[in-house]
Amino acid sequence: MSNATQSRSWLETLLQVLAQRPGQPVGQWAAQWAGARDGCWPTRRSEAWRFTDLRCLTQLDPARLHTQTATPPWPDALRQGPSRQVALQLDGRGHWLSPQGEPPSWPHGLMPLPTEDVTPGQVAHTVMPSGTLPLGAQLNGVTPGPSLCLQVSGADPVHLALAIQVEQDQAWLAPRVLLVLQPGARLCLTWHVAATAQAAVLPLVEVRLGTGAQLEEAVVAWGCPGATLLGSSFVHQSPRSVYRRTNVTWGWGLSRDEPFVHQSQGQAETHLYGLAVARDRSLLDTHSTVYFDGPAGQLRQRHQALADGRGHSVFNGRVVVPRVAQQTDASQLSRNLLLSTRARIDTKPQLEIVADDVQCTHGATVSCLQDDELFYLQSRGIGREQASRLLQRGFCEDVLQRLPGTALPWPSLQRLLEIPVPDQP
Amino acid sequence: MTSTEITPLCEAPIQPGDVLLSIENLHACVEENEILRGVSLQIRAGEIHALMGRNGSGKSTLSKVIAGHPAYTVTAGSIHYRGQDLLALSPEDRARSGVFLGFQYPVEIPGVSNLEFLRVSCNARRQHRGQEELDTFAFEDHVRDTMAIVQMDPAFLERSVNEGFSGGEKKRNEVLQMALLKPLVAILDETDSGLDIDALRIVANGVKKLALPTTATLLITHYQRLLDAITPDFVHVMAEGRILRTGDKDLAMALEQRGYDWIDGVDGADTPQP
Ligand SMILES: Nc1ncnc2c1ncn2[C@@H]1O[C@H](COP(=O)(O)OP(=O)(O)OP(=O)(O)O)[C@@H](O)[C@H]1O
Ligand SMILES: [Mg+2]
Repeated sequence: MSNATQSRSWLETLLQVLAQRPGQPVGQWAAQWAGARDGCWPTRRSEAWRFTDLRCLTQLDPARLHTQTATPPWPDALRQGPSRQVALQLDGRGHWLSPQGEPPSWPHGLMPLPTEDVTPGQVAHTVMPSGTLPLGAQLNGVTPGPSLCLQVSGADPVHLALAIQVEQDQAWLAPRVLLVLQPGARLCLTWHVAATAQAAVLPLVEVRLGTGAQLEEAVVAWGCPGATLLGSSFVHQSPRSVYRRTNVTWGWGLSRDEPFVHQSQGQAETHLYGLAVARDRSLLDTHSTVYFDGPAGQLRQRHQALADGRGHSVFNGRVVVPRVAQQTDASQLSRNLLLSTRARIDTKPQLEIVADDVQCTHGATVSCLQDDELFYLQSRGIGREQASRLLQRGFCEDVLQRLPGTALPWPSLQRLLEIPVPDQP
Repeated sequence: MTSTEITPLCEAPIQPGDVLLSIENLHACVEENEILRGVSLQIRAGEIHALMGRNGSGKSTLSKVIAGHPAYTVTAGSIHYRGQDLLALSPEDRARSGVFLGFQYPVEIPGVSNLEFLRVSCNARRQHRGQEELDTFAFEDHVRDTMAIVQMDPAFLERSVNEGFSGGEKKRNEVLQMALLKPLVAILDETDSGLDIDALRIVANGVKKLALPTTATLLITHYQRLLDAITPDFVHVMAEGRILRTGDKDLAMALEQRGYDWIDGVDGADTPQP
């Protein structure tokens, strides 16, 4: 059987299995998918999937998929935080519960949106009116299950910590989170996703930022060699809103992170920071898009990747600046550290600029550990291994230091800081 | 202070006058170029040596070969440190056993905190000396005390190693490292360059304080100024990868007045090694 036929039959089985799950799939998607699924399944002939192999995902057995989760190792600081903080973990039925296993009690400023008011996929379709949604979002859309839809209000920041812990093989988790930030609202959202088993996690995040709203999002995603993470997020930004996203990913057999940010009328601020640590045979892919649909928008983007062993990092940073987006100020930097001859880095800026009065810069560097830096550390009695570790961590520091304090206490992250990372979480 | 007091547990006691570093007919090259062409030098406990010479004569190369920089290949000759073959040791083992190089151009290491760097290196040396490692808190007290020697602001602990430090601040950081590592042989490569007048005095005082009857110091310098503050027992002049001439502090004075051309005209073969 060819690869393509194999994937198609895998997908057919998957869809049949998912259709039998209780709950509703996201209607619109299911229909769209049914019509076009052959075309949707990426092949390596398509530019966006040139480097990214889906074998890690398709080795899951659709017939055995389940939704079991485990209890995340909540750091004490998060389990019982201040009053404007909520910690939630994903349970085996797709609901978000407190670390004590109870339904959440919402703090002032955070309110569930009635499900009839919101359709998951709304934001995704506004910010991405044409073109097919990313594979992760498609697969999320055809997976039945509840959504977490919240409205955030008030200038006092609210903290929301979401954790997903996967410890059983063949888990298939497709959480959906929709956040609507009222004008001027402020939210600090931290994700902790950890998978220690052959499983797939396909989070779909949709955000609407009202005028002047601010969202600080931190993603700490830690996987193991058999685990797949396909994350998609769609962020709709009104003028004067600020979106900061810091993503730290490591350990996954396959991870594909696809943030899509739409500055609907420009005049907003977007900060995207990513760190991918690809070791062993890990394949970590980031495909980001920032679309300026109005003037005077700002983007600060930095993607850092470290590749060792046979690790592979892929970065594609798309920035779209149409004619309406005059005075856009965008900068993108991709910094990479290559630690082994068999590791691989593929990095590509994709600037689509039509407006002429803009300031858009991009840069990419790939370097190895510097002999002079290693020698300097060694000349102070620091062994080569430890020197290399210090330098690797120093390289990561640029992104790590941007993580908000609430993302830091997770034990997994503490272990990442003591690079090299153990193979298994 | 007696020598045993300052001699660590697992480092055999040193008596003043013991040969610490012995370099014989050292040849070293980088790629195809021979840079050191037969350097011989002996340094004993309690001595301060000055190494001078024109730009490009090979002074820094000598210091880096002693410290074990991988860019240089030793093609002939030997270096013994306290009777041991130094060239057989890794750079880190050389440092742990008490050889210190203060860099002419200290390296900037973004993202690595100076405090942590200092702690890890200090502990590596302590471990070698059979002393217990210092935890974060104990080390922070220790480093703050030590910083007083070079009058350095503790704020530098929070920054990345040498990153964005001014020339003079980097040099002070080198002397701070020396003070923390307590080397037996300290090679200071142009630690005086780029220092303002006050900083030079502070650094010179620091170096003097660390020069003990049981340790040795090799000062690489271009300036008499430093040698006014720290009187060397021997002054060597290097040219084209060799030590051309050796004398006492008067040699440095004469150089200051007459320049290196003067040395070129004199046959240096008659100056015996100390
Ligand atoms: N890594 C290297 N690669 C190529 N050439 C080198 C290297 N290191 C040293 N050299 C060359 O060797 C010679 C000696 O250099 P070195 O740095 O030892 O001189 P120096 O005596 O310290 O000079 P200065 O007083 O200017 O510091 C120079 O010609 C230099 O260009
Ligand atoms: Mg030099």
